[in-house]
Parts: sequence; structure tokens; C-alpha cells
Amino acid sequence: MKTLILGEILNETLSSGTLEIIKKAQDENLDYQVLTIGSDDAPKIGSESFKQTYIKRSSDSLQFSKITDLITNIINNEGINLILGSSTYLCRDLVSFISVDLNSSPVSNAIDFEISGDTVSTINSINGGESLYKSKIASTHALLLIRPKSFDPADVELIDNFETIEVESSDVSIFDIYKEEKTGPQLEDSKVVISAGRGMVDKENLVIVEELAAKLNAAIGGTRAIVDAGWMPYSQQVGQTGKTVKPDVYIACGISGATQHQVGMKDSKYIIAINKDEEAPIFQLADLGIVGDTLNVIPKINQNL
Amino acid sequence: MNITVCAKQIPDPANDTSYDNGIIVRPEEQVLDDTDRYGIEVALQLKEKFDAEVTIISMGPAGTMKGLQQALQMGADKAIYVDDDSLKGANSLMTANVLSELAKTTNADIVIFGTESTDGYSGTVPQQVSRFLKLDCISYVKALEIGDDVSLTRQTSEGSEKVKMPPKCVISVTAGGVEPRYPNFKDIMAAKSKPIEKVELDKLNITTEQNLEFISIEALENSKNGETIIDEGEAFQVIVDKLKELKVI
Repeated sequence: MKTLILGEILNETLSSGTLEIIKKAQDENLDYQVLTIGSDDAPKIGSESFKQTYIKRSSDSLQFSKITDLITNIINNEGINLILGSSTYLCRDLVSFISVDLNSSPVSNAIDFEISGDTVSTINSINGGESLYKSKIASTHALLLIRPKSFDPADVELIDNFETIEVESSDVSIFDIYKEEKTGPQLEDSKVVISAGRGMVDKENLVIVEELAAKLNAAIGGTRAIVDAGWMPYSQQVGQTGKTVKPDVYIACGISGATQHQVGMKDSKYIIAINKDEEAPIFQLADLGIVGDTLNVIPKINQNL
Repeated sequence: MNITVCAKQIPDPANDTSYDNGIIVRPEEQVLDDTDRYGIEVALQLKEKFDAEVTIISMGPAGTMKGLQQALQMGADKAIYVDDDSLKGANSLMTANVLSELAKTTNADIVIFGTESTDGYSGTVPQQVSRFLKLDCISYVKALEIGDDVSLTRQTSEGSEKVKMPPKCVISVTAGGVEPRYPNFKDIMAAKSKPIEKVELDKLNITTEQNLEFISIEALENSKNGETIIDEGEAFQVIVDKLKELKVI
């Protein structure tokens, strides 16, 4: 099946979400090409093993409609039937726009898909990962938004040789670009993640989580509730509307475990939960559950490491 | 200025979602999706500055209309909705098709959404509506500054960026970006006399169709039956020992 993978760039190379979809395409023996959208001048995103086209946008204007026109044209001209993108801000936007052009509703939050003949079937996770929802796509085009960490990333050697298409500027100009500082271990690839929830009571108390994270070389995450409350930037949110993590060890501090949060962390290899409420749903997921006050337990761990 | 805000009535999220043949079961009484409160708040802030009319648009089983009332109580001026059996289980594209047709009937300059609903969370409808309406889409707005111009701060994967709000556009607002207002008693009473109008589906230009066939829902066994310890002051030691065993330290 002729397939288009929408790629994204992170740190001047293909994002892990993109590499994960490439791996799945390789495993399924799909006839795929990658079309990567970004604003970097010289990213390393080409490969000997697949066709890469770089759609280079400028970072000073929103160019969605022009980029969409370009992608729809490529899909139509090349007879592409399957379009795959990661569930990220950019791909969610682009796949949605393209779905209107192709008159084919996309499947969001897919965690896997299979192909039999000309038919694509998808699996998505619903109710915060408590159930799997399977459906079959009946239209000519199948558009899938795939949750990060659904597949292992492909191991490909990336080169700086690929075709580039420059996109014209639009009249919606962008100003005040702010890049969140990324220091220390990152949520996506850290072996240990420590997350905080409402049970931490106050933003000031996050300092004990930071101390533990420093000792364990861990990344720090948070629930939607504390991100909405302004305790942490959105980039640290773990859950349905935030990041999906799969570390070796996940330590949930004062997190009740709403389904919104569970979907982002339930596949962690070993889960430690500390919460006052012994009925908290997080204990269902935990390998080791401590019913107690996070604010008492963590400082003692810090003292004894 | 005409501002249109999409609001969805959803089953009370405090209860578990149930499905019938792959379609969410909707009780007679549904509530306003909390996600939409952020969009309504943005609309009301714009209304205060630019003297706009704010129309709520909605699709789905109307039932007791509690959710639509809640949207009007916040301060929207009126509501229109489509409720048609043929839309049961509509995919995101059909939903966007209906909503963009409704937005056309309101002559909307600005169409505002939450980023994704709490029951279906496909997160694609605002963008699809913008494409149907051939308008720019300013997605994932997490803050706005209203002066003579309006500047919108968008969340991006790397951080954020600001754009000047075009005179006509579609906006999706993330949770937490603004503080939705709570209606007082007077607002609640005033909402009762605001118009709510049903629009018949056959008056709208619907060009989309169902393309997703439901196969099955499988419940996963997530429960791990892990070890649980009540902390009596020494539980930290169990964690320290476990972290050593896992070779994290």
C-alpha cells in the first residue's frame, strides 16, 4: 500500500515519533515515503532506504494552508492511500486539514494498525487506556494519528541529502517565539520518571521531587491538574493530552490516577505510587504502592539515598 | 463582530463512559464539556472588547439541553444546534462538516473551539472546520492579550509562539489558558430567556459520510495486583531498597 509518513524534526533530526512510524512501515513492508515539515536550515533527515521530501516552512508565519495544499497534491499525484502521522500538535493539524481535502475522516489516538489487502484496520486506546477500540476504514484513503511510543523507533542512518520544497510565507505572521529550556533528562527518553499530582498540595513542595529527580537522574512530569494550575509548563504534562512515557521506573507522587493520566504512563515497566488515599486508582497500576503522605515519604527517601 | 463558539454536550465525565455497538451512550441529561468553557471564556473576553454577538453551535442529541443552558449561563447570547438520528456515531469529519455549515449560518468572523472533547477526544474538529470554511486556523491557543489588536499565544512542541488574530479565523483553545467564569444567580436566570434554535440537517450542505466501521471494544486487564504497603513511617525504606534492586541507584 502506497504510504506517506508525515515527519517532524527534533534537535535537527527526525523526531522519535517519526522514527517509530517508520519502523512500523518497515515491518509491514509498506511502500512508504516520508514528508517532513520543519523550519531548520540543515536538518539530518534523509536516508538511503526511503524517499524523504523536506517541506521547509519559515518560522515567521503560519503556513498551514499552503503546506496542506502541497501535501494533498503529492497524495493525489502519487496515488497514496495511507497517511500516517504522530499525535503531535503539527501532525494533528495537518492530518485534520488533509482529511477535508480527501473527504476521509482520520482515526485519532491509534496505537496500532494492520493491513489486509486494501483494507486498513486500526486499534485505538479509549477510556484512558482501559479498553481497545477496533475499527475498519472503509474509504479509499486512510489517515491515522498514532500515539507516540506505540512502536519501537527505527534504527536508520540519517544523512543530509534529500529534496527540499520551500513554502511561501503567509500573512499570519508569527512573533515572540519562545523555546522552553530543556535541561536535564527529558520525559520522552529518561529511564526514570517522577511525576507529581495534586497530592503535593503546593507548588513550593515540588522542590522535594526535584531533589529526588536529581539523585535518580530522572525526568520530572506532572498531571493535567497541576499543569493547569501553573505549577509546571505544559511540556511536562503526562497523559492523554500530554506526553506518553514508558520509562523503566515511574514514580507517581500524590497522583490519584485519573484515566487522563493513566494513558500516558501505564506502560511504564515498574510503577511506584505514593498516595494518601488507598482507594486511588493509581494503585491498580502500581507494582509497589505506598499508602501514605508523599510529603513525608519523599524527604525520607532523599535522606537515605 | 460575530463570534461562534462550538459547545458539546457530553455524558457527565464523573460516570464511566459506556458504548453501544461502538457508539457512546448519551443520557437525556448531558452537561457542557469543560473543555468548551475555555473557548466560551475567550469569546466573552472578545465580546467585552469588540461588542460582538456570541452564538453557541452544537451537534448531538439535545436531550434536556442542560449543557447548552450552561453555555448560555456563562454569557453567550444564543444557541443553535443540530440533532438528527442520522448523525449518531458521526465521525470527526462529518461533525466538522455540520459545525462548519452551522458557523456559516451565523456569519461567523471568529469560530472558537476547545482543543478536543472530553468524551471522544479526536482533537481534529477545529482544524477540519477551518479547512471547510477556508479560514486560517490558530490552534492550541493558551493565552490571549486583547488590546487594539488581539494577540494569541499558541502552544508548540518546543514552547510557544504568538500570532496576531486575523479578522476571520478559527481558534482552538487549550485547557488552562484562560480562567472560565462562573455564572451567578442572575446569569443563570437570564439564560432561561435566551433563544435556543434547532436547525434541520436537510437545510445544511452535507458532503461527508461515515468511513469508519466499528469492529469491537476489548477491555484490558490493567490491574497489576502489586504490593501495597501502609506507611507507618518506614515505607520509604521499601522504596529505597526497590530502587537499589532495580539498579536505578
